[in-house]
Amino acid sequence: MSFINFANREVQLKIVYYGPGLCGKTTNLQIIHRMIATDAKGNLTSVATSKDRTLFFDFMPLVANALEGYTTRFQMYTVPGQVMYNTTRRLVLRGTDGIVFVADSQWSKMAENVESWANLEENLRLQGDSIDNIPYVLQFNKRDLPDVAPSHYLDFLLNNRGVRRPSFSAVATDGTGVFETLNMVARLVLNRFVKSYARKESKESELVLV
Amino acid sequence: MSLTLVEKDVLRLRRVLVELLERSESDGCVVCDSGGYVIAQEGRGTQDPLLISALGAGVFAASRELARILGEDEFSAVFHQGEKKSIFIRAVNREVLLVIIFSNTANVGLVRLYAAPAATEMRVLFDEISAPDRKIEHPEKAFVLTREGDFFRAPGAS
Repeated sequence: MSFINFANREVQLKIVYYGPGLCGKTTNLQIIHRMIATDAKGNLTSVATSKDRTLFFDFMPLVANALEGYTTRFQMYTVPGQVMYNTTRRLVLRGTDGIVFVADSQWSKMAENVESWANLEENLRLQGDSIDNIPYVLQFNKRDLPDVAPSHYLDFLLNNRGVRRPSFSAVATDGTGVFETLNMVARLVLNRFVKSYARKESKESELVLV
Repeated sequence: MSLTLVEKDVLRLRRVLVELLERSESDGCVVCDSGGYVIAQEGRGTQDPLLISALGAGVFAASRELARILGEDEFSAVFHQGEKKSIFIRAVNREVLLVIIFSNTANVGLVRLYAAPAATEMRVLFDEISAPDRKIEHPEKAFVLTREGDFFRAPGAS
């Protein structure tokens, strides 16, 4: 659910990084925070355990000059990947406008990837939504590790719905693929926002004509 | 679906919030939705309203889960007391939250007292804002994307 403030000429959109534990969701945000220009970012806040595992979420606001005449604020969140924190994942997913699903490319993590994907679908269903109605991209992370599945296999495993979504190979620790993923999800979310607003407007005009 | 505010809504909200801050002797307040969007802010002590909203919405959502476990529908308010500053979070409706920040020279009873009518007044406003037949005056006919290329770049990247 986006938020439009016509008085302040501001649009807010929410993007959530989802995926199994230790797949690199927090690392994605840390790299974006480290590399992006200062005027485009706010603080990166992590609600983490003493062992640096995400407990609640990570949060970072980004500002982009994306819509003419409007300040566009993206609110970037990660969910805690560990299985036991499902309630928290559901809370963070509320009202999201776009999703990045980060998969761990290692063969040994395939079951966790599939389980996390199914968990995402289920959590969206519980809030009356569907993955098919939300802009999302997939990121196949940790491509630098030795024992990884080929990208086409990960696509076969996770990106196998009617419409294939964009997927990116990444090594989040050195920044490879991080900005490609971010820019693609931002574009999908913005396109969806612009289209849905135009549709709503045209519906209202029709009502006036009648 | 999106939550949309126009000038008139912002002015109404501001009036409610300014009055609340004056009466309750609080420092500042933020109105946010349950997804963490900042809807409005007023006063001092809210230098980072984005973060206050994200964390406030998270804290309140967690308290809702606790309430559910205890068999309550929800806790209508959450209070965090610090040494110098405290935070009081109150539900306006299922989707909107009011976060009030006040120093401990103010009285939590006053904050609680005046937060209730402010929340009621805001509930009426948000009912109007989210009414399906609401007509927005002077809306944009369309939003236009500024560019075809990337929106975010790392310095030094081509």
